[in-house]
Amino acid sequence: MDRPTIRRGGFGALLSIAYRNIWRNGRRTGFCVAAVAIAVFFNIFMQAWIEGMIGGIEEVVRTYDMGHVNAVTEAFDAEREYLPVQFPLAGGRDWASLAAEVRALPGVRAALPRISAWATLFDSSVKHAMLWGIDLEAERKVNLFNLTRRDDGLVEGRWPRAGTNECAIGTALSLKGGYAAGDKLPLKTVSAQFSDKYWNPTIVGIFDFDYRRFDEGAVIVPFDRLGRLLALDGATQSVVMYAEDPARVDGIKEGLSGLLGAGHVVRGWQENYWVSMLRKSTFLYLVVFGVFQVVASFLIINTILMVIHERIKEIGMMGALGMTRAEIVLVFFLEAISLSVLGAAIGCAVGAAATFVGSLFPVDLELFSGGGMKDLPMSGTIFVKFTPGIIAGGFAFGVAVSAACTLVPSLKSAFIRPVEALRR
Amino acid sequence: MKRTIAACALAALLAIPALAQDAAAILAHVDSNEGYSSISYKGTMTIEYRGKRFVKTFESVARGRNESWVEFTNPEDRGTRYLKRDGRLYVWSPDTEEVMLISGHLLKESMMGSDLSYEDTIDSETLSARYVPALKGTEDVDGRKAYVLELIARKKTESYPKQVLWVDAETLSVLRFELYALSGARLKDYRLVRSELIGGRFFPVEFEMRDLLRKGSRTVFAMREVQLDVPLPDSAFSMRRLEQ
Repeated sequence: MDRPTIRRGGFGALLSIAYRNIWRNGRRTGFCVAAVAIAVFFNIFMQAWIEGMIGGIEEVVRTYDMGHVNAVTEAFDAEREYLPVQFPLAGGRDWASLAAEVRALPGVRAALPRISAWATLFDSSVKHAMLWGIDLEAERKVNLFNLTRRDDGLVEGRWPRAGTNECAIGTALSLKGGYAAGDKLPLKTVSAQFSDKYWNPTIVGIFDFDYRRFDEGAVIVPFDRLGRLLALDGATQSVVMYAEDPARVDGIKEGLSGLLGAGHVVRGWQENYWVSMLRKSTFLYLVVFGVFQVVASFLIINTILMVIHERIKEIGMMGALGMTRAEIVLVFFLEAISLSVLGAAIGCAVGAAATFVGSLFPVDLELFSGGGMKDLPMSGTIFVKFTPGIIAGGFAFGVAVSAACTLVPSLKSAFIRPVEALRR
Repeated sequence: MKRTIAACALAALLAIPALAQDAAAILAHVDSNEGYSSISYKGTMTIEYRGKRFVKTFESVARGRNESWVEFTNPEDRGTRYLKRDGRLYVWSPDTEEVMLISGHLLKESMMGSDLSYEDTIDSETLSARYVPALKGTEDVDGRKAYVLELIARKKTESYPKQVLWVDAETLSVLRFELYALSGARLKDYRLVRSELIGGRFFPVEFEMRDLLRKGSRTVFAMREVQLDVPLPDSAFSMRRLEQ
């Protein structure tokens, strides 16, 4: 005897029912979609903003502070804030001979010597500045100092020539002290032998790195001239290395440590305090975004609960007509998912457009901070990061969180008995 | 009883001007001990800072409190010269080969990496002229009886608003002094290492200075071939000599 077969609707049929249902109350659907869309947009934009900010900080660290790998002596590292010049690298070995060995390490794209020292300016309006002794020719081949315009940052005059009594200063220092190209910049610094050194270099260039700490407080001078002034006898205070692959610096670190020997600190750029701190705090941002998404999902949860309540007789009818509990739950769940997908799609589209525009036009942080962010290794502008990964991630995150939140209210429909539902 | 109290109060009242007089007299002695019409000497400055030791040598001449000349002779600083004249401090450095005026905030900087600042070296007036002394009693300093003088600055612009001096009761040499900021924080410590009887006075020829704001730092100044009150030509303090 043939058993009667009940033709059940497939997934497509249930999806179709769910999709039709969401338009039964257009205004309510509109609110749900808008809530999810705003949350997804916020998450995408904020993630792009944070990624852009972290990327900017990493770039500042790599450009001005550490390169990809940085080596200093342990004694210097212990007193880093004072920028002591009494502790040259490799026991005071001449950089010219050390450079050849350092550059020969596998995976090294460039190795640059740097000396930083505090100076007291004779001018009372700007009392202190940092002398930054670099090999300008070599540095400019590797680094773009202005991270906003992506150029060397020179806005007036020229860069100091090697071996000369010349310097370049930032726009902020120039304004504060009333200096112009051609002026002298009398200063005092302390040498490696703890001697007062007086110097009167001529300002030949004004730069704008869009990095407040340098624009306001750095005096760029030729590496060899500063080394001579500080009695470093050709030695360097630190070396910054640039790798062929910035993500793989362990080999260079090991090679450099072996070359320099004991008493040195060799670090990769990922070990920088700000970089590692921000990377670690990424998890916190995800938690914040998650909370935001959950709050937005409350509107969907509320809608589904209301819908179940409103359609209680309908649910009874569906059950009486033979739909299983799982199918009924799936209809409501798909309804909730449809709202989430629709909202997330709109949020993604708006978020993608906003981040794309933000990636083209950098945000000027000076407007918000008034120039008060010079203690952070941060450029004055932020490029919001536009990547398909962030947008796809934002969409998936939005749908997943909303779906998870709507699962429980959807299950409520499963516990309604058809006979009781029809009686109401 | 009332008579006793009254007598004590009277004695105390009478003692105040006497003690004040003593303090002023002691400070005047200190000034005369360390004063000179001119001086010529060779010096060594040994700086110990954060476990490192730097020795600097120099030659110096001075006339009164207003004119002085210092030229460093150790290899690292050879040729660096300072001239104090007309209340101004000039420096000539081989790195710049030009005369530069040290003024303003620069005067508060450490001189040649030592525990002394430039402004510590350019005081033109005696302690008696700059401070009001008060005798705070006597103490034992390294087995020697010493008067303790508290000096309060007469002018608000003084670098150190308060000083405390320990003056040898016998020789009236300053054995020790402390320099204080307006906040009451102790900034610098001085200890006499050795004084010599030169021209009938005990003249400090070796002393130690500590800048308490610099962790693990001290500077020992030692003078040799000291000649006091010798005639010195005007050319010894000329700008031309500085520029040569």
